[in-house]
Amino acid sequence: MLTIVLRAIIIYLIVLFLYRLMGKRQLGQMQPFELVLTLIIADLATIPMAEISVPVLHGIVPLLTLVLIHFALTLLCKCSSKFSRFISGKPVIVINPDGIDYKALKNLNLTVDDIMESMRGAGYFSLAEVQYAIMETNGKMSVLPKSEFSPLTVGDMKIKADESALPINVVAEGKVMKENLKVAKLTPDDVKNLLKKAGINRVKDCLVLSVDKAGEVFAQAYNKKYTTFSTRPLGEVSE
Amino acid sequence: MTRFMWFQLVSILLILGVLVGICVLEDRLVCDALSSVRSYCYQIEVAVDENDGILNNDVSTLLNNLEEKWFRDEANLCFMVNHKSIQEIGVEISRMKTYMEEGDRKEFMASLELVKLYEEQYHHFMGASFHNIL
Repeated sequence: MLTIVLRAIIIYLIVLFLYRLMGKRQLGQMQPFELVLTLIIADLATIPMAEISVPVLHGIVPLLTLVLIHFALTLLCKCSSKFSRFISGKPVIVINPDGIDYKALKNLNLTVDDIMESMRGAGYFSLAEVQYAIMETNGKMSVLPKSEFSPLTVGDMKIKADESALPINVVAEGKVMKENLKVAKLTPDDVKNLLKKAGINRVKDCLVLSVDKAGEVFAQAYNKKYTTFSTRPLGEVSE
Repeated sequence: MTRFMWFQLVSILLILGVLVGICVLEDRLVCDALSSVRSYCYQIEVAVDENDGILNNDVSTLLNNLEEKWFRDEANLCFMVNHKSIQEIGVEISRMKTYMEEGDRKEFMASLELVKLYEEQYHHFMGASFHNIL
């Protein structure tokens, strides 16, 4: 049993390292070749874990080989758009101003129900609301609504709005985030003052304290309701 | 190049190095282990013929050397190959030792032939060859 435990740890660490190496794509954003890789990796990793007579190297070597293939394919896709189209396909317009493109639908092996489902996922429930819908290579559908169904934006209203400010967590779970303090251009004394203003006596009692560029503070102590207040605007926040 | 790109590049080169290293090591281990088994088998055959029997020091020494070498190689091969697939030679060597103690030449030679047969068969799943790839 100890062998299985140790093998599981080794393989887990290797698979974790390999996924970290491959980047941070989510399952839904995967290209076809990435999905294939994920499925094979999952299968390969379990064989030496469960079967003691199989050497761990029998699991590790194919995993490493697949990752090398993945990098080679990724590099080729970056270098050649033709190769990228061959491997990942290309986005296809499935709904145009004339309605559903049935030919494109058949080429993609999709049904009208699939299109409606993807449309609902994108927040549109009627075909009449959609100007264009594009089936992306990762299987997700991007929808461009007709102008009368587009969400209203500040730009449409031609009004000036304050710039969106990114809140920076300076305290999280009772600990001062030193890196974030530098980004927010605050000192430990500033943090103490902000906590005092929020009615929190000690840093370790604070669940979260965040400040944004405009000086809006959000503070919450453990098991208490949050408070918000304004303070002096921060200096230029680097992101 | 960002730090992550450097990390990727170094990791890829490392993986490539590890893979090449493992493949070369496996090929050398397999070739060395199987060729030494083959060589010992022929030496034992010759020693049996020359001494007209199995109860002599030459055969005994060669068999001990074969056993020692094979078990050492087998331990290394187990890192690369499913050890269930390569246990027959060890079993036959142990049988040969028993047959030698009993002075059963016929069974001894039969086991020796089996060891030679297994040595040939192991080439079908160990080491790099076109046959194994397909």
